[in-house]
Amino acid sequence: MAIIEARNLTYTYPYAESPAFKDVTLRVERGEFILLTGPSGCGKTTLCRCFNGLIPHFYGGKLEGEITVAGLRTTEHPIHEIAQHVGLVFQTPENQLFALTIEKDVAFGLENLGLPRDEMRRRVDWALKVTGIYDLKDRAPYEVSGGQQQRVAIASILAMQPEVIVLDEPTSFLDPLSARNILEVINRLNKELGITIILVEHRLDLAARYANRVIVMNEGQIILDGEPRKVFLENEAALIGVGIPKVVRLYMLLKRAGLNISRVPLSPEELSKSIMEELIFDRG
Amino acid sequence: MSMFDGLKFRNISSPIHRIDPRTKFIYVLTFFIVAVFFNQLIPLLILFFSQIPLIIIAKVKKEWLRLIKGSSFFATIIFIMNVISLYFYSGYSSFASIIEQASAMTVRFIVLVESFSIFFLTTSPDMLGLSLEQIGIPYEFCFAFTTAIRFVPVLAEEAQTIIDAQRARGLELEGGNLMKRIRNYIPILIPLIVNAIRRSLELAEAMESRAWGATEKRTTLYMLKMERRDYCLILISALMLAASVYAWLFIKIPTLTQILNIQG
Ligand SMILES: Nc1ncnc2c1ncn2[C@@H]1O[C@H](COP(=O)(O)OP(=O)(O)OP(=O)(O)O)[C@@H](O)[C@H]1O
Ligand SMILES: [Mg+2]
Repeated sequence: MAIIEARNLTYTYPYAESPAFKDVTLRVERGEFILLTGPSGCGKTTLCRCFNGLIPHFYGGKLEGEITVAGLRTTEHPIHEIAQHVGLVFQTPENQLFALTIEKDVAFGLENLGLPRDEMRRRVDWALKVTGIYDLKDRAPYEVSGGQQQRVAIASILAMQPEVIVLDEPTSFLDPLSARNILEVINRLNKELGITIILVEHRLDLAARYANRVIVMNEGQIILDGEPRKVFLENEAALIGVGIPKVVRLYMLLKRAGLNISRVPLSPEELSKSIMEELIFDRG
Repeated sequence: MSMFDGLKFRNISSPIHRIDPRTKFIYVLTFFIVAVFFNQLIPLLILFFSQIPLIIIAKVKKEWLRLIKGSSFFATIIFIMNVISLYFYSGYSSFASIIEQASAMTVRFIVLVESFSIFFLTTSPDMLGLSLEQIGIPYEFCFAFTTAIRFVPVLAEEAQTIIDAQRARGLELEGGNLMKRIRNYIPILIPLIVNAIRRSLELAEAMESRAWGATEKRTTLYMLKMERRDYCLILISALMLAASVYAWLFIKIPTLTQILNIQG
């Protein structure tokens, strides 16, 4: 069964003249790693807010169509119930941390759920270790770097053990190295813990290699949805200004120049391996 | 700013830091009451010096000294005001006793500052929030309290960024009369407030996403527990209070002027 299922979903913010997205139909299977991308203002963040019930419960407005998450209709269940199945990590790291120490921040959601103290302790330590910030647990959130703050945000969602984690541009305030480290952490959550990931990201160069599905939105609609190696080759993707990974562009140029590479690469390593194989094959 | 730095918590560990904030508060409050009891110089000086070992044990000497230095401005004002008012409005004949009386008031002020600084210098805001929670204050208030403290450095930094940005566009902050100066700050205040509102919305969203309000019976990762040292300190506070009530009622405290027999 799909973990998230949206059918003909249309949403209009209060006082807005036109819907932020319309007629979106989407099925997310358990264990997928979805990369959601598209130009600014196309409705990605708005869609994310639907996944844990912030829309319609927090934002109001008009939600038409149907969306179920882990079998729950989001319109009929309060946010705190849906939040236990779908965790949302936001763009600005500092605005999602409340406590005066990192460990208490990670505990915040569990405290809200009223978990017993020893269970809480176990989960907090586990989440801190998985995200690699156990040594920072007694520091204040404003004392650590942006990348570390974003790890805290991820840890605090992870501690609640949701089935799905949705991350809305988690790397946009980070330098390339921290961004890459965060994406590695996210990838581990998916591959090792089996958590379904929906990652909103503009930096496809860094993120493409981890995803097994790419969804491209434009002007409030899903225009492409499929395997990364197929989606990035579509003309439409390039036309609306999606930042097609440079390796894919290089692949297309090489292909046009006559070099026949078997597989669309998603990382420089893959491309270099394919080229090497090609060259050796040519010589041999 | 130096005065407020004295009230800022630094995360170090000492026996004083480990005392339950509730106990420490009782102690500080007792101290406060005792200081208000007496208006003679000698007992106030005793109070002042009796706290110095505590400050040394708590390893906050530097911050404390800075605080005392910072409050010296107010202390001076208090001293001068007292000298003037005593001179004009009271029947004190001797100049020495006027000085002594004014000094007593000044020392009292310093003692009050001292006792509060011990509390704030050795209590993490986090512990403070937790103890508020445990004395039964609704969690919403405690949360607002710790969140406010958590965002002070963030907002301070933001204010600085805005000031720099507006200066870069040619905003003059100094100069002009009072009204002009106040008006100068509007281009800083407006973005600051707008940002704060936007930030609070994002915070609310993040709180909702972490199951805020899921259960009435919220639990906490840590729990404060009174230990032997806490009961000891409460006992000491009680004794201190009793002793000072006794002294206040039955002992005629001599003034320094009388002891030294200074004639004014
Ligand atoms: N809180 C809100 N109230 C009203 N309208 C909003 C709100 N948030 C977003 N919108 C509008 O909804 C549309 C979709 O915005 P959304 O933030 O979902 O885009 P996005 O794809 O996340 O863009 P970006 O890449 O810039 O984050 C935009 O037209 C935007 O102006
Ligand atoms: Mg967005």
